[in-house]
Parts: sequence; C-alpha cells; structure tokens
Amino acid sequence: MASSLHIIGFRVQKLCGHCGVTHKLLLAPVTANSLVPQRNNWRKNYAKREAKKQVIYENVGENAKKTSLIYAWGQASSGALGIASYVKPNLKFRGKQIFINKINRPARVRFFDINQMKPYDIACGYGFTVVAVKYQNKRIVLGTGVNTDSQIGYHETPKGSGRILDQLIEPSHIKLPIQKPDDCRVTSVACGRAHTVIIVENEGVFTLGNNAYGQCGRSIVEGEDYSKNQTINKLAEVPGDIIKVVCGQDHTLFLTQSGEVYSCGLGADGQTGVGHYNNTSKLTRIKGDIDGVKVTSVGSRGDCTLAVSESGDLFGWGNSEYNQLGLVTSETQVNLPRHIPVPHCGKVIKAVAGGSSCALLNDQGQVYVWGFGILGKGPKLEMSSTPSLIPEPIFGRNELSPNTKIVDIESGLTYLAAKNDNGDLYTWGRNNNGVLGLNEEKNQFFPWRVALPAEAVKVACGLDHMVALCKSFT
Amino acid sequence: MKTRPLQLTLALLKPDVVAHPHILHNVRQMILENGFYFLMSKQHRLSTAQAEQFYAEHRGKFFQNRLVTFMSSGPLWSHILCANDAVAKWRKLMGPTKVLKTVYEEPLTVRGIYGLTDTRNCAHGSDSDETAKREIKFFFPDFDIEKWYEEECIYFQKDLVEFDASLFQHIAVPQCSQCLSDLAL
Repeated sequence: MASSLHIIGFRVQKLCGHCGVTHKLLLAPVTANSLVPQRNNWRKNYAKREAKKQVIYENVGENAKKTSLIYAWGQASSGALGIASYVKPNLKFRGKQIFINKINRPARVRFFDINQMKPYDIACGYGFTVVAVKYQNKRIVLGTGVNTDSQIGYHETPKGSGRILDQLIEPSHIKLPIQKPDDCRVTSVACGRAHTVIIVENEGVFTLGNNAYGQCGRSIVEGEDYSKNQTINKLAEVPGDIIKVVCGQDHTLFLTQSGEVYSCGLGADGQTGVGHYNNTSKLTRIKGDIDGVKVTSVGSRGDCTLAVSESGDLFGWGNSEYNQLGLVTSETQVNLPRHIPVPHCGKVIKAVAGGSSCALLNDQGQVYVWGFGILGKGPKLEMSSTPSLIPEPIFGRNELSPNTKIVDIESGLTYLAAKNDNGDLYTWGRNNNGVLGLNEEKNQFFPWRVALPAEAVKVACGLDHMVALCKSFT
Repeated sequence: MKTRPLQLTLALLKPDVVAHPHILHNVRQMILENGFYFLMSKQHRLSTAQAEQFYAEHRGKFFQNRLVTFMSSGPLWSHILCANDAVAKWRKLMGPTKVLKTVYEEPLTVRGIYGLTDTRNCAHGSDSDETAKREIKFFFPDFDIEKWYEEECIYFQKDLVEFDASLFQHIAVPQCSQCLSDLAL
C-alpha cells in the first residue's frame, strides 16, 4: 500500500491543440492513485496547524454558564418539532435527508442554535409549539406547527402576497400587540387543543386561536372563521395579577398571585368549575371548596382539572368518567371544586390530570397515580380512584443517590412525564408516534428514562409530540 | 353474474381531524385503503342549532351538550361512503366511541390512532340503514339515493369508477351502450 503513495514521474502523449502534432510531455510528479496533480496548499495547512496550537483547552469551571437547548420528539409531519428538514428535505443533500413522519427519540432543534436564540419558556398544544426566546437583547415569542385556527398568529409570506400559512415547519415570530415589541417578557404561556394564551409581564394577557367555547376569554361569535385571523385578543378586565396560565383541551385556567383561580371556555363537563355546564366566555372566579384557599398549582390537560393549595390539599372538578374524582363522588361530571382527601399522600405540591389518568407529587418527591389507562404500575389496565405510589427506585433513587427525588410532573392526554432533581426525564404511558421518546413505539407500562443528552429544565407535553427545554455545557 | 347491492353510509370527519391537514389526509387514506367509494364529499360548518338538530336522538343525555358544542366548533367534512355492508364496516373501522378506552383496546382503528378524548373522537358514522338515509338527507339534501341506485350503482358494482382527488369523490366512468347492456345482464 505504501508504494502506491510514492510520488512518481509520469510520461504521457498529448495531441497539441495549436499545431496538431503529438508532443511528449513530462508532467509534474503526481501520486499514483490520482493522476490529476493535487493543488499544493501546504501554506494553508501549516497555518491551520499553528492556529490549533494556539487554542487552549480547559475543563469547565464553576462559573461556566450552561446554554439552553431544545429537544423535541413525536409527530413531525405537523411541523410542531420546528425541524424543517424533516417535513421538507433539502434537495441539496439528496439521499441524506428524507421526509420524516415521526421521530421516537429526542432530536435537537438546531433552529435556536443557528440563530443564537436562548429559549426560556415552552408550551405545546395539539400539533403546535410556542417558544419564548431571548434574541440579541430582545425577547420574542416564536411559534411552529399547525396554524389552522390562527393559534400561532398570522404569518403571510411573502408579505402582501395573500399567501397565509396554515402550517409552519420552522419557528416564526408571533407579533403580539404590545408597547415594546422587542421586550416581550413572558411570565407564562400555555396551549390548548387549538388556542394559545400568553401572559406578558407589565402588558397583560393575550389570547390567540379558536374561541368556539370562549376559551380565549372573549365573547363567542357564531360561525366565526378562525383561520387566517389577524387579530390577537388582549383580555380587557384582568382580575388581580395573574402569574400562571394552564390550558386544558378547550378551557383555560388562570392562577393569580393571591391564590385565586379564574377560568373560561368549555364547561360541558364542568371543567371550568363555575357551577354550571355552559360555556363561559368571560373570566370567572372559581369558588366551591377552593373559596378562601390559596391555590398554588393547577393542572389540566384533558377535561378534568386538579388544583393544589398552599397547605398541601388536593381539589378536583370536571370530568370523572374514569374515576378521577371517584374518592368524593360517583357522578361523571362535577361543576364545582371538591376537596379530595388524600391523607396517605402527604403534603401535595403539584397535581396533573390527563384525559383519564391523574398524578400527584408530594414534598417527599413521591409520585402517586390514579384514574384509568397506563398509570405506570405494570401492564394491567385498571380503574382506580385511590392514588397509589410508584416505587421511588424507578425514578433513580438507589444506594448511590439516596436523595434523588422527583421535582416536577407533567401530563399529556394518555401519558405522564416526571423530572427528577438530576435533570433526568422519565416518561410512561401510551406511545403513539413515539411520543415518549424512548426510541421505540411500544406502550411503556412503567416510568423509563428518556435518553436526553442534556439536563432537562422544563418539559411540555403536547398531544402527539413532546418538547423539552434543557441546559447543557456546549 | 349478480353482485350484492352496495350500501350507503354517512361519514363525518369532526373538527379535531379537519384542523390537521396531515391527519385528515391519513384518515381518508385509511378509508380508501379499506375499499370504500366516496360518492359525495363536502365541507360544512354547523351552527349550534344545526348540530342540535343533527343529534336530536341524544337529547337529554349527559354528553349531548359537549357533543353539540364540539361539532359546531369548526369546519367538518361529510362523505357519503359506499361499500358492501358499509354501515357496519365503517363503524368497525372507526372503532368504539370511548376513545380513552379504545386507544388501548382497539389501537388500530381510526379513533384508536387519532382520537383524543371521548368527545373529540375523530369521526361519526350512521348506526343503521334508516339513520344513514336520514343523515345523508341532512347533509346532502340534493342527493337522491333512489336515483343513484337506479343509474350509477351498477358502475360502482363493476368498479367502473375513477377517483377525482380534487373533488375527493369517485366518479362513474360512462360506457358505451353496448357495454351497458352487457352490464345490465
């Protein structure tokens, strides 16, 4: 092999273009495996080698800052992952890029790295994602995915052409009608099935998308066309200082600093908790058992709603067809908040409710589950109205790390997710389209760690996709 | 050769499916692959009163309110499907109503794959021949079922149809009189 690399002289005969006579030419020495003479760029290579010597490699110090990354997985064909090449492969890389319908492992969304954006808040709806980012001393909100109800704003490209996008495959700027458009400090953002609610600091509450049930907090207009809608609604009478918003499928819940809960939207199952089963288009304060109680956390993804008070009590209202509220009532619909006694669960700090399954987290870092579906306690599907503990060793508590505990739980419609204090993300439940990110598409019957190459900070569960905001040294 | 008469049924694709172009495409593809013919296709937007009228049989049931408000929440597609034993076949392909149970028990049906909750359950199908006739009349008042059986049914039985993707329906291919007389035999 070595001999073939030796430089040899090579003699060729060539017909001269000028005189038409065959000349004998001696070419410059060439390598045997390529007869074309190579361009000699030793100067460049030398400079490269020297530049490499100048770089000093250093281990990460204590003061080093972690950068924010976004990982996404699940259904890709809606565009909700924000990875354009999955939906529209670049023809330059023919063969390397193909259309990807769904992805069952975490995929890095490089859009934010390429544009040097630092994400700090995320929310997922049905086929769309909203991300709040810092970008060149600005703070803006981006959206990607399905836009058939204008839930991620009005996007016309090219401008003035009348081509209004129904679906975005890459994050695009949502222009909110605020005083300082470049300084949109998002306090909280949440997405329902087809609507988005964004709370901006010092500006107010903005709602976009479908308002067929009044979930946007404005009066319902019969037969309104929500697609290609340019208007973004700002809630006029905002009660108190709203710090958090949570969206169910078609209803919205607002939590204020003082612990009051307000709601609007679909009330057919009582999920708005206002004492009747009609839709409410105006923010209404929820009373019932949470009247006078300081609520610190609200959770709802489907049609059942759970709330947790500062003292660690659990409250619930809405749909109870799968025994989500079975401890206090046998009715299938509850339209006023009811106190759910769970003394064996300790002090509850967070509770989430999916379509049929519910989960709560206590201050010891333990997760309890109840309801119906894959609850995380084995392959047997059963309806249970009493919360039962998921063993802690599953979430990474063992002899080597005895203090590991779960610090956050989230819920999709048919799956659950939990995050521990090491930044490990665990998912379990129905694995449609690889939404659990476990590199396979079989249902997962007990919590399993997602192979995220970074530390998870926040996770948003959509209906057919999941997005995780992570931090890592790069 | 005598073939079995074709049956007609009404299929509604509900607002949760219609809002997602890729899911709408996939559901229709599923219907086509299962050997259904699309006779008519039309996009609708129901008002609350119309939805209430359509679901008059459910009046008084606990889910009537949420069903009606959901059906009037966005655009929906209605299709007249045609196949042998279409009513039962479409209901089987669609899966049971209770989506949150169906996703575990019958995961390969339309509702098992794309259903969200018990209310947002992708699709609607007529439950019998009489209901199908009534529901087709509701969504397609101009469509004459008896006339169709007399004039066009024979093409569909012999599979002499073409699929028009822009209208999203099958259209009978006219034949010469000789062929028609052969077919009639």
